[in-house]
Amino acid sequence: MKNDNYIVRPLICILLVVLLGGVLISINMGKVNSDTAMLLGGMCLTLAVVYALLRFFPLGDHYIFMITAMLGVIGVIMLLRLQTGHGQKQVIWFSVGAGLFLVTSLVYRFVKHWNKLNKLYVIGGVVLFLATALFGYSSGGAKSWLRLGGFSFQPSELVKILFILTLAGVFTNEYKKPKEGDLRIKAFYNTKLGRNCAATVVAYVFLLFLLLQRDWGTAVLFFAIYIAFMAVYGEDKRFLLLNGVAAILVSIVGVSFMSHIQIRVETWLRPFHDVSNKGYQITQSLFAIGEGGFTGRGIGAGSPYYIPEVHSDFIFSAICEETGILGGLAVIMLYFVLVYRAFKISLSTNNDFNKAVAMGIGVMIGVQTFIIIGGVIKFIPLTGITLPFVSYGGSSMVTTFLALGILQGISARRREIEDEI
Amino acid sequence: MQEILPKILTYLFVIVVYAFIYTIIRMIFLDIRTMSRKKNITQAEGYIKLMNLKTDIDFAVNESYELEKDNLIGRSGKCRIRIGDRALSGVHCRIFKAEETFFIEDMGSANGTLLNGESIADEVVELIDGDKISIGSLMFMFVKSE
Repeated sequence: MKNDNYIVRPLICILLVVLLGGVLISINMGKVNSDTAMLLGGMCLTLAVVYALLRFFPLGDHYIFMITAMLGVIGVIMLLRLQTGHGQKQVIWFSVGAGLFLVTSLVYRFVKHWNKLNKLYVIGGVVLFLATALFGYSSGGAKSWLRLGGFSFQPSELVKILFILTLAGVFTNEYKKPKEGDLRIKAFYNTKLGRNCAATVVAYVFLLFLLLQRDWGTAVLFFAIYIAFMAVYGEDKRFLLLNGVAAILVSIVGVSFMSHIQIRVETWLRPFHDVSNKGYQITQSLFAIGEGGFTGRGIGAGSPYYIPEVHSDFIFSAICEETGILGGLAVIMLYFVLVYRAFKISLSTNNDFNKAVAMGIGVMIGVQTFIIIGGVIKFIPLTGITLPFVSYGGSSMVTTFLALGILQGISARRREIEDEI
Repeated sequence: MQEILPKILTYLFVIVVYAFIYTIIRMIFLDIRTMSRKKNITQAEGYIKLMNLKTDIDFAVNESYELEKDNLIGRSGKCRIRIGDRALSGVHCRIFKAEETFFIEDMGSANGTLLNGESIADEVVELIDGDKISIGSLMFMFVKSE
């Protein structure tokens, strides 16, 4: 019975946050409308349904979804406060994502041999990238969007997951003894060096596509995931060294020849030099964060509309303005716990492939959060990428939920085994 | 009043988020503590020790199990020593103590119980320190503490 308290208390916290957020929006924005109430109610309903399913069927880890739910709720409240339309869509995307999360966790758990589909993942990734290159259109400087039957989405979000699965497969699949008459490349693939090379080739092909799309934020994310895998499984310092050299070379080339990058770096180093034009976005973000101080101006009492793209990339600045640095730190801590959870699952599962996948997902969420939060607080050059679960955006929400669904499936597999003891 | 109320509510909002983080971290902490407690096996009068390499096994099994007066081994919930090995029966075998000596007995398992490589069929056999017990895909060594 005592244990039940610990399960109920976080749920009460989430409900309280929804309630307080709703009340604050209606007081400060002066819009006491049924829309807001209905949307928040819908959000709660989704949470309740998913949580009940997790609770009453042995579907694995309970923490992942609770932390995600908290992040999602904070995001939805901020979006409702910024623009009701965006909030509305976000609630829908959250529900779709949560549904997909459950489905993915079940599919991942009961379909075996995920580690044997390596070629399929690579081909899928390349096809998605090619499709973007041919039929995509650009938005916000990066040609990374694909329209499909009325929906636009970023294929690179989906490729992220394929990339993690590929690397996990490459590094953990069994080494086969080369047979007579085998192709030489096949024999080479079954050596440690061959595996490292295979991972490197895949990573660089994907990176090339991303750089052609001029999607630098996602490229950095892919590179970080690749480096994490190399550091854990590569066991070869030469590769780390070469990658370091390559990264430095690419950034030097980027800084000296590409105007796109030059602007980013310049606004990072001297944001106040050209406040009205190039540095407008980042300086507005800094003003907003400074305006918030420690405790914030109150949800609905700030003026976040000065920041362009405040609903997607810059939502963290809005959170900092209205709930203060303390609120911002709370969000960062939520990501910490989420990433910790991913690594914990990675450590406690027995299956090598699942271990690698869980690690990759943890790295992905952690690095993505770091890149965008670091960007908006001017800690690193800004690159457009979404804050998982909080930023407005369907494809980001759905694919991050997909990744977490895989994590959930892995944790369930482990718990299933534990229960049998 | 109109100024202060939203401010206080915002503080509350942030505090509740922190309370949430606190409860989650606390749950995780409890989780870890119970896990590390499970591993602490105090020396009982006898225990069985896993001989297989743990890396070859794709289900959870402890390195060793303490033996009490009566121990059922198998997959079902009735058993004191539950192991999720597919090659084990629900109730596979039984190790029990009578007058300071441990005995092993097969409980009508599908795949049988081997003691030092020989099937014990439906006999009740005395266990001696160092005996190797094979059940399902696992092999244990019986160790009697002095």
